[in-house]
Amino acid sequence: MKKILVVDDAKVIRMIIRQILTRNGFEIAGEAGNGREAFEKYKELRPDAVTMDIVMPEVDGIQGLKEIIAFDNQAKVVMISAIDQRDSLMESLRYGAADYVVKPFEDDRMVAAMKNIFAKKQEDTVGSRQ
Amino acid sequence: MNITQDRLKILEIMSSLSIDRASRALSKSLRTGARISLSKVSIADFGETTEKMNEDQREMISVMVNFKGNEGCKLLFMLPLEGSLILTDLFLRQRIGTSKECDVFTESAIQELGNILSSHISNALVSDFNAQLIPQPPQVHNDYAGVIFTNLVLEQGTIDDKLLLIETIFEISGTELECYLFLVPEMNSFVKLLDSIGVKT
Repeated sequence: MKKILVVDDAKVIRMIIRQILTRNGFEIAGEAGNGREAFEKYKELRPDAVTMDIVMPEVDGIQGLKEIIAFDNQAKVVMISAIDQRDSLMESLRYGAADYVVKPFEDDRMVAAMKNIFAKKQEDTVGSRQ
Repeated sequence: MNITQDRLKILEIMSSLSIDRASRALSKSLRTGARISLSKVSIADFGETTEKMNEDQREMISVMVNFKGNEGCKLLFMLPLEGSLILTDLFLRQRIGTSKECDVFTESAIQELGNILSSHISNALVSDFNAQLIPQPPQVHNDYAGVIFTNLVLEQGTIDDKLLLIETIFEISGTELECYLFLVPEMNSFVKLLDSIGVKT
């Protein structure tokens, strides 16, 4: 079962993401409320993937993404934000985000994003063996 | 403050479009017919509005969001405690009436409401009017309407002596809640934005 670290400053959103993912066969490795906590938890828990909000207090999600990718360039981080702007999307992709989900999202969109990143990882692995 | 009626009309349209988009996003989040409608755009005197807020003796939960970027702006949303509890139940997808008192989930629900509203207002202004603004993390407070509004005035008052108020009505779950959504653009930067999109009148 894939373990996910859920990062969002809003407790209700962490709870909603937790419910959606656990209902769909994922395990929650842990939760964090900002980018700094996310990096610390990532090092400690070594989850298979991270869902990362962008606008958060103290250290935002872009900085959290950068630190996680600098630590582990294979990290799978899905950005989840209500900000639906080109600059924000491009910045996230530039720093290594695997996907970008806009809030509010349908449950299916969240589950598809998580499944896709693992399917992609598997394809990459198969591809590199051939 | 020097703003013509024509420019005020344009600002009203810009606000209406952005609030409409935010309303749809909120409705989708809550999976119900939450609706925010624009009731008035006006240039208001800080003192008069503070007086009006002071007359409202209800305990409110509020969320304030600052925007950074070329266009300075603040968003303040206040709703009464009972409305906050309904909102919490809707966010948590539980039966209305389950939440009985303001707790960490209520504050978190209001925080997320501020996040959704501010992000979608900013998305609309960026995509439709080439504005540059990004919301900052929302700040949640629990107090009387007058006290909360005074905090906004204290922050904004150092920039403008009058404020452009965009007042709205917020309906949730079939009930029209008397609450306040103030979108307070920093006037000079919005006048520049109007210039840049060719509104010269």
